[in-house]
Amino acid sequence: MSDKPDLDPFGFARTWMGQWEKLVNEHGTEWLAKPEAAQAMQAMSSAAIQAKAVSNEASGKLLAAANLPSRADVEALGMRIAGVEASLARIEAMLRTQMPDAAAPARPAVRRTRKPPE
Amino acid sequence: MATAFVDSAQSAVERAIQRNLKGLGYLASPAPVLGSSAKDVIVNRGPMRLYHYHPLTEEVYRVPVLLVMATTNRGYIFDMVPGQSLVEFLLLRGYDVFMLDWEAPRAEDRGLALKDYVEDFVGSAITEVQRSTGEQDVSLVGYCMGGVLSMLWAGLNHAAGPKNLAVFTTPVDFQQMTLFKSWSDPRYFDVDKLVDTLGMAPADMLLTAFDMLRPAGRASANFALLDNLWNEDFVKGHRMFDRWSNDMLPLAGEYFRETTKQLVWDNRLKEGTMKIGGRPVELDRISAPFLHVTAEHDHIVTTAASAPLIELVGSDDKEQVVLKGGHVSLIAGPNAVKRMWPKLDNWLGAKSV
Repeated sequence: MSDKPDLDPFGFARTWMGQWEKLVNEHGTEWLAKPEAAQAMQAMSSAAIQAKAVSNEASGKLLAAANLPSRADVEALGMRIAGVEASLARIEAMLRTQMPDAAAPARPAVRRTRKPPE
Repeated sequence: MATAFVDSAQSAVERAIQRNLKGLGYLASPAPVLGSSAKDVIVNRGPMRLYHYHPLTEEVYRVPVLLVMATTNRGYIFDMVPGQSLVEFLLLRGYDVFMLDWEAPRAEDRGLALKDYVEDFVGSAITEVQRSTGEQDVSLVGYCMGGVLSMLWAGLNHAAGPKNLAVFTTPVDFQQMTLFKSWSDPRYFDVDKLVDTLGMAPADMLLTAFDMLRPAGRASANFALLDNLWNEDFVKGHRMFDRWSNDMLPLAGEYFRETTKQLVWDNRLKEGTMKIGGRPVELDRISAPFLHVTAEHDHIVTTAASAPLIELVGSDDKEQVVLKGGHVSLIAGPNAVKRMWPKLDNWLGAKSV
């Protein structure tokens, strides 16, 4: 046993916290694994999804009334931009194949001959 | 006794002062810069990012390494800061390193399915690595769900196969992930409604689910930070890991729907009935040398969920190792530097010539 008295003000809290953490993790996960917990969690998340759906619909109507693009319009625009990006990527890839030196940054070439240490 | 009392009091006062000073410093200082190893972004398409890290040696192994990150988190866990970066470690050991990383899918990416992630993203990353290096052989190294994607690709393409296949903490028996299984119970969890309404699995929902695997984890981590504010290394590590673990990505809706139904509900990977794009995933026909590293104290992918993988893989040269650590400390931080990284290097080096 150490003859050094423990004057660290966090000492007691540390011990208490360790025990609390163990207890909460053990019992918490035990409870969370129960079907009732899953049911309660899903009821909450289902309500949140429902609220989100209602809010999406309402904001869609508001935007339409204000003659502003809806989420669907912006998504459609996004898809068209993605199409343009994909075309650009294909063009870039073709250019890299045809002009590898122009596309690659100037770095010394490495030799692929390394062997593992004995 | 009097001297011991004075020493102890002095030490307690010093720590209290340090806690206060460093606590102020912590609040005032900017977040650490993570993922800073020099790299080129060679593919930037949808949620897919493919990086090629600049080699740090003049001579590299013939076979390049492609790291495949989990789809829920950012790849900088592999490249935290100098001295605590798996990428840097591999570069210094003479590997040519690439990483398949992810960005948050956008609204128009909601339709991306498992097939897109496996055949398109993993598949095109491998093709790009081959093109970039001029080598047909590629070593595939996946983490968690990145490991699952790597396994799915290898199970579909066993003839072409990766040269070497290493995965970390990769779940295969999803029925053994008891909490996730319970929370996604089809009697209560309407995945179709979630995906059809939101288009995505939101990042905050995923973060809450991961947090609930250890309900006291966050409070306990914050207390540990307060307790260790005097310790610069601890604070630095806490900031890095806290930032990473909170930096979660949403998942594309269709991908989340298929993952839930096929992997969690039907447990198809374990049952051997998994198909991607109509083609069977045949883990038993994988012949590449295979390494699976799991963590002894993994509370996310438990040993029961990951251990059966080794039996399902057909390779003759296969090895499963359980190392000390948790789901994250296995791959990053001081524990990983000592244990997993040298293990990976020892296993991969001889197979990369």
